[in-house]
Amino acid sequence: MSDRIFGVVGLLLALGYAWAALVIEESFLSDAVGPKAFPLIIAAVLGLSSLAIIIKPDKAPEWPSFMRFVEVGAAIVVMILYAIFLPELGFVIATALAATYLTWRLGTRPLSSVVSGCLTSVGIYAVFHLVLGLSLARGPLGF
Amino acid sequence: METFASLADGFAIALTWQNLLLALLGCFLGTMMGALPGLGPSNGVAILIPLAFTLGLGATPSLILLTSVYYGAMYGGRISSILLNIPGDEPAMMTCLDGYPMAKKGRAGEALSLSGIASFVGAFLATWGLIFLAPQLVKIALLFGPAEYFALFTLAFATLGGVASTNQAKTAFAAALGIGLATVGVDTQTGVPRFTFGEVHLYDGIDFLVAIVGLFALSEVFLFLEHRHGDSDAAKHKVSVGRLMPSFSLLKSCTPTMLRTSFLGFIAGVLPGAGASLGSFISYTMEKKLVDKENTFGTGDPRGVAAPEAGNNAAAGGALVPMLALGVPGSGTTAVLLAVLLALNITPGPLLFTQQPDVVWGLIAALFIANFMLLAMNIPMIGLFTRVLLIPPRILMPIVAMVSFVGIYGISGSSFDLLVMIGFGVMGWILRKLDVPLVPIILGTLLGNAMENNLRRAITIDNGNWWTLVDSPLSITLWSLAVIGFVLPIIFGKVLKSRMRMKKDEEGAVID
Amino acid sequence: MAFKSTRLLLAAAFIGASAFGVSAADFKPENPECIAPANPGGGWDFTCRQVGKSLQDLKLLDKTMQVVNLAGGGGGVAFAEVVNKRDSDNDLIVAASAATATRLAQGAYPGNTMDQVRWLASIGADYGVIAVAADSPINTLPELLDQIKNDPASVSVAGGSAVGGWDHLKVLIAANAYGINDVRSIKYIAFDGGGEAVTQLLAGSVQAFTGDISEAKGFVDSGDIKVIAVLSPERLPGEFADFPTAKEQGVDAVGANWRGFYAPGKMSDDAYNAWVGKISDLYASDEWKGVMAANGLAPLDLQGEAFEQFVAQSVAQIQKISKEIGIIK
Repeated sequence: MSDRIFGVVGLLLALGYAWAALVIEESFLSDAVGPKAFPLIIAAVLGLSSLAIIIKPDKAPEWPSFMRFVEVGAAIVVMILYAIFLPELGFVIATALAATYLTWRLGTRPLSSVVSGCLTSVGIYAVFHLVLGLSLARGPLGF
Repeated sequence: METFASLADGFAIALTWQNLLLALLGCFLGTMMGALPGLGPSNGVAILIPLAFTLGLGATPSLILLTSVYYGAMYGGRISSILLNIPGDEPAMMTCLDGYPMAKKGRAGEALSLSGIASFVGAFLATWGLIFLAPQLVKIALLFGPAEYFALFTLAFATLGGVASTNQAKTAFAAALGIGLATVGVDTQTGVPRFTFGEVHLYDGIDFLVAIVGLFALSEVFLFLEHRHGDSDAAKHKVSVGRLMPSFSLLKSCTPTMLRTSFLGFIAGVLPGAGASLGSFISYTMEKKLVDKENTFGTGDPRGVAAPEAGNNAAAGGALVPMLALGVPGSGTTAVLLAVLLALNITPGPLLFTQQPDVVWGLIAALFIANFMLLAMNIPMIGLFTRVLLIPPRILMPIVAMVSFVGIYGISGSSFDLLVMIGFGVMGWILRKLDVPLVPIILGTLLGNAMENNLRRAITIDNGNWWTLVDSPLSITLWSLAVIGFVLPIIFGKVLKSRMRMKKDEEGAVID
Repeated sequence: MAFKSTRLLLAAAFIGASAFGVSAADFKPENPECIAPANPGGGWDFTCRQVGKSLQDLKLLDKTMQVVNLAGGGGGVAFAEVVNKRDSDNDLIVAASAATATRLAQGAYPGNTMDQVRWLASIGADYGVIAVAADSPINTLPELLDQIKNDPASVSVAGGSAVGGWDHLKVLIAANAYGINDVRSIKYIAFDGGGEAVTQLLAGSVQAFTGDISEAKGFVDSGDIKVIAVLSPERLPGEFADFPTAKEQGVDAVGANWRGFYAPGKMSDDAYNAWVGKISDLYASDEWKGVMAANGLAPLDLQGEAFEQFVAQSVAQIQKISKEIGIIK
């Protein structure tokens, strides 16, 4: 059943992709093939393979329980927040917070998580910024 | 022989204390950057350009530092592939397929040392190839017009059938998805934006590093979160590292593989636009086709580790040929190296070998030095690398996630890229659950653009005639290889297999 | 997603402790930075790195200029970044070229126009060339254009820019000047950079190449290709003197890919003048003359106001041509 749903999603994706390809505004000056043809071919492959998946689905995988879904969903939210607030908070603080959360949710005791999160953050900062010289987000405190 | 005299001159230039130290530094930093997901060879070299400039290094020392980083990153990429199932850079993607299963079986040490040796063999042979064949090899690059490139890329996709998933429809789906993602952005042929939905960040397309880190590294984190209370944690602790050096017989059994794939990878590297990823990919799939009689590739076959590593390191050497002799970068990294050459007032091109022999031979000598240094550095450090496996996943996985974020953010400085990467992570997690292979997606994003552009160039040159695609002996050869070697077996494979089974039954009946 | 002082740095080995606040009168950039709006390896990247290196060698800057590669949208991402986020940054300059002007003229940077930034100075120009393979039967520009006129399908012209980009425009300008009215019939094949385009000329996939002198130089020296026209007003000095101009062959076409810089629109006047001064000093130096000679850059000495006007003119000219040949409406 999972594969059937996946196939249908894939089919919709292929249709959406083909539609998006058809509405590409072609410039006045174009090559012989144009910007639409290749995406349409790919859309066809995408659609056909989705159909094949619908017709001959594999065994469904073992999906996690609802609580586990929430767990993964929460991690995704934390990561998105991290991406958005990284430039605001600065690298070290944002990373320490995110790493602490992930460590905690993966089953470490809270206190150790904080320690581990902070060490992770500082360690990465040392390697990437101080050794490799990459510029990481500089927060209000300068790191 | 003149060549050897020139090479000796090159060593005379390269073998100074300063240069050796630079090579050592480059090898170390390169290995590290290769191993960290998100920082690949091209970024590694780019990051160190300012260092070379600030130190006020001359042409040869700068090149020594930067090519050491280049080779070092090619070595380093395998480490995270084998230990964590997360490719450190894009050419190391294929090393995951057998390297990680080997590590899981408790042969992590062997996998690392074997792949280190394979890397050495590939890079070593490629450097010799560069010395003796560079001028002739340029002619190979000139055989490839747009139509031939298109056929070559099609061949790469046709060989996908042999990799990873058992469900061919899912492989095709993944490849199409990857190519589709590659078409996002401004169309380089006509300049019109496609699938960008007005988002300027998408105009340049989706960076495949963002895709690869999201699909592999973040999805791994999600998988762990999902199974947190399972017994995977406990099981992990018992993982043994196994012996650190491969046995002589194992090395012997892998030698033909290494030699073949070095050659193949080198050729792939010489073709501009194909590069190291295609080198390791083709090496793996061809080798699987050739020697994998018992279907052990993908389950921790040592040859499946040796093949892509020899292939991608040989391709790295091969990619220097068009860069030096034509001024055309064959890969992202050589594009960066080309920029360095230009900034140092060295114009690569057909006359570089005669006009500035000291630079060329100094560079080649540096490649040899870096290669030996890397082997000497990598083998003893395997024990250290494998310690990574002893860190419990609940600590390790957050580190992996954060390193992935930093790698991407440090290069692009863009939160948008991070969000795209999280998107890829979620997608990777779902696709993994559904048993959709990820390798074709990456291959698609890597090669999709080049494939489309060459298709369109070929057809435009021939005034809209699609038959031009099968118009030269070379392209016909490549197409036949794709169809006979890979497409037909998929279609008829099942039919044949069931027939054979029937036959066996009949025979059985007769004997009875 | 508000970026504050987000710096898109590829190359930041040396940001030490940074300081803020710059004294007005004697402006000295604290963290001189040059954005190359493309990946490493291209002309813009070269412009930044070479200028940064020479400025430091000549002691015009006491700190190394950081080169930041900010690729995307043919320079559009960098342009938007400067306009939207770093509009008053005094330490920043951005590499630009005729390609920037072309895209601005054709409206290819959505919502951006050339007067949103301050144009600093040029550092030279790379004149366009049209070349064929050494063994080609074609020897002059009129011969090539005649063949295109009679049988447009028989000639594929390769260049390193997208359709409608600067390399393409050069051929169209020449064809237009020669009296080919339907320039859309000209077959132009876009490659990823001039190097790849020349390679395909050598491979025989295409019949002609349009690009810059610097891209063709190595292959002319080796005798693999021959330049049938250089799009300069008169013959170039030095080793390029052998190239015939399009003008002397009766095709009145000039196309210079100038290289230069722009700065954020709200850069203070002090800073603007300081940068203009630095770049003019650089341009006047012997060291820069050497760099120009080595890279086939022809003189184009414009600073400050004069450069601003020059860019405005070339934007207007490209707009006119693009309308004439129907690339934009």
